[in-house]
Amino acid sequence: MIEKGLKIFLCVMFLCCVLAVGAASGEDDEDYPQEPIIFTKPVKAVVFDHKLHVEENGLDCDSCHDDPFEMAAGTAEENKDFNMKALYEGKYCGQCHDGDSAFASNTRCTLCHIGVKGYNRMTGVKPKGHGHE
Amino acid sequence: MKVNRSDKPNFVTDEERREFLKLGLKITGVLAGGSILSLVPLPEDEANALVELEGYEKTPYKPHYVMVIRQNHCVDCEKCKEACKKTNHVPDYGYRTTILEKMAEDDEGKKFSIFMPVLCNHCLNPPCVRVCPTKATTKDPKTGIVVMHYHKCIGCKTCMAACPYNARYFNEEKRAIDKCNFCWDTRLSKGEKLTACSAACPAHVRVFGDFSDKNSEVWKLVHQPDKAVWVLRPETGAKPCIFYMND
Ligand code: SF4
Ligand code: SF4
Repeated sequence: MIEKGLKIFLCVMFLCCVLAVGAASGEDDEDYPQEPIIFTKPVKAVVFDHKLHVEENGLDCDSCHDDPFEMAAGTAEENKDFNMKALYEGKYCGQCHDGDSAFASNTRCTLCHIGVKGYNRMTGVKPKGHGHE
Repeated sequence: MKVNRSDKPNFVTDEERREFLKLGLKITGVLAGGSILSLVPLPEDEANALVELEGYEKTPYKPHYVMVIRQNHCVDCEKCKEACKKTNHVPDYGYRTTILEKMAEDDEGKKFSIFMPVLCNHCLNPPCVRVCPTKATTKDPKTGIVVMHYHKCIGCKTCMAACPYNARYFNEEKRAIDKCNFCWDTRLSKGEKLTACSAACPAHVRVFGDFSDKNSEVWKLVHQPDKAVWVLRPETGAKPCIFYMND
């Protein structure tokens, strides 16, 4: 019972903190997903981190929304042309990742492509099979 | 694990390049990230040793099937592995090809993965063939493919132990050792030009072809004067025929 009370208290404290930070910044547009977005189409898997792009690279929502990306996660993934060729033509991530504003899309592949292994790590999936022992 | 120079796209120094030229540059043969293979990690200095690769040009095989792996393009999507499983009925507990991973850091200190596709190297001096007591695994005199004759295999696993590349597994259903045969029975013998993995790769990482043909892509890729090419564990003397490069 005491433990439960403590948990509720901690939750309330946490919420207060979050609200306080939100109020201090005063703007809704600082609200962005804290967890990285993982794309699985057309290949598994590509990671996009809002935090990195906003905090380290100083982008704001307008930089990418609603062009080239709509707000709703997964929208771009449904498009047939969501692939490397489109990026090279300056669409999607390629709008910045062109070698000028940010590293070019045809370089440093595995900075964004985390693969099946990276996907399994991030989602906690255990790989199948046990090798050749 | 320390990352050796082969992980950097431009890891060939001018000095090394001169060394290659001295070697005659038959193949820009270098060194190898043998340390990635899990069984016996190589000491760091050995992993960085320069090795001359001789004998690849004058083999009796025609076509001489080899694969060149453009390693830095691999994104571990594993479409190759899926295609291989489907084509060659590979069970979940084994593999004919897989992707190894190691972590590295770029100049800005950002972490990234190096993905490394591995498969049977179809060695010119295959230790597996040498040790098999029943001749259940042989090197095809025409194509150089190292093949299994399942009905002759007694399951002693001597070849598994002898292979420096961990390329073999015991297939419970076949009651025999199984391994990559460049899709000989499932594709090449039926007229297909590519292995299943090569055809499935969206990033053109697995370049497959005939090394006896100087106009083939594989031959040309390996013979670029300014590009380093390496094989895994050259020091075993097995003369593996899967070449790696960052292209
Ligand atoms: S299909 Fe190509 S890019 Fe994908 S894991 Fe295999 S070799 Fe790498
Ligand atoms: S990689 Fe292993 S299985 Fe393949 S030919 Fe060489 S020794 Fe034999």
